[in-house]
Amino acid sequence: MTQTGMIEADGIHVDMEHLKKGEVNLGTSIMAINFKDGVILGADSRTTTGAYIANRVTDKLTQVHDTIWCCRSGSAADTQAVADIVQYHLGMYGITNNEAPTTQTAAAIFQELCYSNKDQLSAGMIIAGYDDRHGGQVYSIPLGGSLHKQPYAIGGSGSTYIYGYCDANWREDMTEEEGIQFVKGSLQEAIKWDGSSGGVIRMVVLTAKGAQRHLYLPDQNYEGPGKQT
Amino acid sequence: MGGFDFSNHNRNAALHAQGVPLPKATSTGTTIVGCMFDGGVVIAADTRATSGPIVADKNCEKLHYIAPQIWCAGAGTAADTEFTTAIISSNLELHALSTGRKPRVVTCMTMLKQHLFRHQGYIGAYLVVAGVDPTGCHLFTVHAHGSTDKLPYVTMGSGSLAAMSVFETQWRPQLDKDAAVELCSQAILAGIFNDLGSGSNVDVAVITADKTTLMRNYITPNQRVPKQRNYKFPKGTTAVLNEKIITKEDISKYVTVHELEDDSKTATAEVMDVDQ
Amino acid sequence: MTSIGTGYDLSNSVFSPDGRNFQVEYAVKAVENGGTAIGIRCKDGVVLALEKLVTSKLQKPDANKRISTVDRNIGIVSSGLLPDGRHFVSRARDEAASWRSLYKAPIPTSALANRMGSYAQAYTLYSSVRPFGVTAIIGGWDSEAELPVDGQVGSGPKVGAGGKKEDGKHGGPFLYMIEPSGLYWGYYGAATGKGRQVAKSELEKLNLSEGGLSLEEGVKEAARIIHVAHDDNKDKEFELEMTWISSLDGPTKGRHEEVPKELREEAERLAKKSLEPEDDDEEEEKMQE
Repeated sequence: MTQTGMIEADGIHVDMEHLKKGEVNLGTSIMAINFKDGVILGADSRTTTGAYIANRVTDKLTQVHDTIWCCRSGSAADTQAVADIVQYHLGMYGITNNEAPTTQTAAAIFQELCYSNKDQLSAGMIIAGYDDRHGGQVYSIPLGGSLHKQPYAIGGSGSTYIYGYCDANWREDMTEEEGIQFVKGSLQEAIKWDGSSGGVIRMVVLTAKGAQRHLYLPDQNYEGPGKQT
Repeated sequence: MGGFDFSNHNRNAALHAQGVPLPKATSTGTTIVGCMFDGGVVIAADTRATSGPIVADKNCEKLHYIAPQIWCAGAGTAADTEFTTAIISSNLELHALSTGRKPRVVTCMTMLKQHLFRHQGYIGAYLVVAGVDPTGCHLFTVHAHGSTDKLPYVTMGSGSLAAMSVFETQWRPQLDKDAAVELCSQAILAGIFNDLGSGSNVDVAVITADKTTLMRNYITPNQRVPKQRNYKFPKGTTAVLNEKIITKEDISKYVTVHELEDDSKTATAEVMDVDQ
Repeated sequence: MTSIGTGYDLSNSVFSPDGRNFQVEYAVKAVENGGTAIGIRCKDGVVLALEKLVTSKLQKPDANKRISTVDRNIGIVSSGLLPDGRHFVSRARDEAASWRSLYKAPIPTSALANRMGSYAQAYTLYSSVRPFGVTAIIGGWDSEAELPVDGQVGSGPKVGAGGKKEDGKHGGPFLYMIEPSGLYWGYYGAATGKGRQVAKSELEKLNLSEGGLSLEEGVKEAARIIHVAHDDNKDKEFELEMTWISSLDGPTKGRHEEVPKELREEAERLAKKSLEPEDDDEEEEKMQE
């Protein structure tokens, strides 16, 4: 297996080596930030099985409701299963209550699943969403299943390398363009230093206007193509 | 007293503790691939099945039917790919019947991933799912633990690295059908020749909106040719030194011989009455 | 409603030929004998009030409360069979708790009303059960503030969330009434029990839909309406039980609580005073502020 160490916010090393044999791992760099008009999610695109890259253009940014998305890290199977279940719950919530679920609701369901199944899961999730009432919000659920509301959150094996970068460059109330540059800059560093991270940089910008995807390719020096239709 | 006998469990645990390995299921060291093209999707597989170092089957089938327009290529534990695809095929047909619609590839993929996730990787099925449905052409991989990927070209199994090297060097967007079949075949051949776990022939399935074409043994690069020499001896090579004829009467001195009246009837079985 | 069921009233799961479920209608009869219960949705809160008939002089005054708290911000008052009401409340508490355990947030009043409506309705479908002999009034205040997820750590950016739309109004007072059939509606003012007709006509005079009535005024009106609706000829003794729920910056800070004793007694004093010069005929009654 590859390295899969991970440093949590409290500085404790969590062993991610307990992935089952042959299990697909999202050796990952993911993040989400608050900015002036909402939130931005970002992720690399590398999926590994041992030393082999099983998918070099993975989409780790997963939609669970109209303007609630998550970044997945850890086991691909576990995080996909959790995201699918949350997507189901939020869909049902929207229908039965005639009202879109809030980011808090999404975070609560994610936490419930991650905490109550913590012994069987290796899933590190970042949840980010936008709604008119609460604006943009970022929640982080690391391995144990705790829930942290943060101005910005970083996660995955690659995040260890960019704590300093993010701390130094993070500012509150960034514009959308500044936010994109911050996320891109952070993920470029993470990809550079972390062997388990790589490929393209994907982003999702969540504002009152809805969800907008972005794509940045390494062969264009991570400068394009940008917004996706 | 009735009840279950669990004593074998203790025996097995004791044997295992002494280093006796657990019995292993047949695993297909395999090369399977899939590739999208304009108007459809192709999947292909080699045909070698292995059991440890032994080639268990030289021409097995790794392309599994799910629905008329949805097919799976399977790698991993042979029994698991066989039964997993069969159960999902069955459930998907019931689903199609109850909805009155053609089954969708995403539905198949979701059923597979939920089934495999529920069994936490203990069902060793690694699958390439491909098909055409009313929403378009689709190609997925599903890993044994339940993770899925959606890509324009995919490879799996022990020969996936060799096969992927073909795709990564020769794939281009907007392939036509023949080019996609050729590319997939080349990828499988790379697995057959460069991966020990893969071998024998190339099976290909082409799925388009109109029909599915299964091309069993599309390429047979490992045909057995006649041996340059054979070691059979012509009749009469061995000299007859002497000859002795023993008659029935002679044998009757040692054993009892019964004459059977009719050769077509068996000696002991009674004729069974069958209601017409 | 006066017709006899002619056999169609013996089981819950049986319709009469003209499409009625007699068991449900009999349950409504049970409610009509209960003490009057009302709810008023004011602009900054909700008042629940109950005419608690005293059945014995041996009962301790002010004890045996009948208006229940379901979640911190929601109360239920019901009229009809008391044990049925208790079971209904118990289920409501379970629903509120189950919502909390999944969503880590208090249940919205509308969602609770919806779930309890479905629950009551289920008791009209099966021959093995009878419908609830209660009509319940659910009052709640859905927080106007942003609520954190229960158990979350941290609070996000210091400057607050970006892209928030400040113009929208959120939360507020809500009032629902659920009948034995499972039917429920949202109300500005709701009344059930013996004196419901009188109480309803009094509530209508308040013009609650205009949203002008404050919570403090609502408390006084609630006390007065319960007194007006009380029929001295039938029941001698009764106690007034009142609870309220205000906004976060109001007297109960968004919680469902009993109206303080002094305030209740003051409201009752005013209620009795307003009744004294009035005629007994309730239709002619004129209110004064």
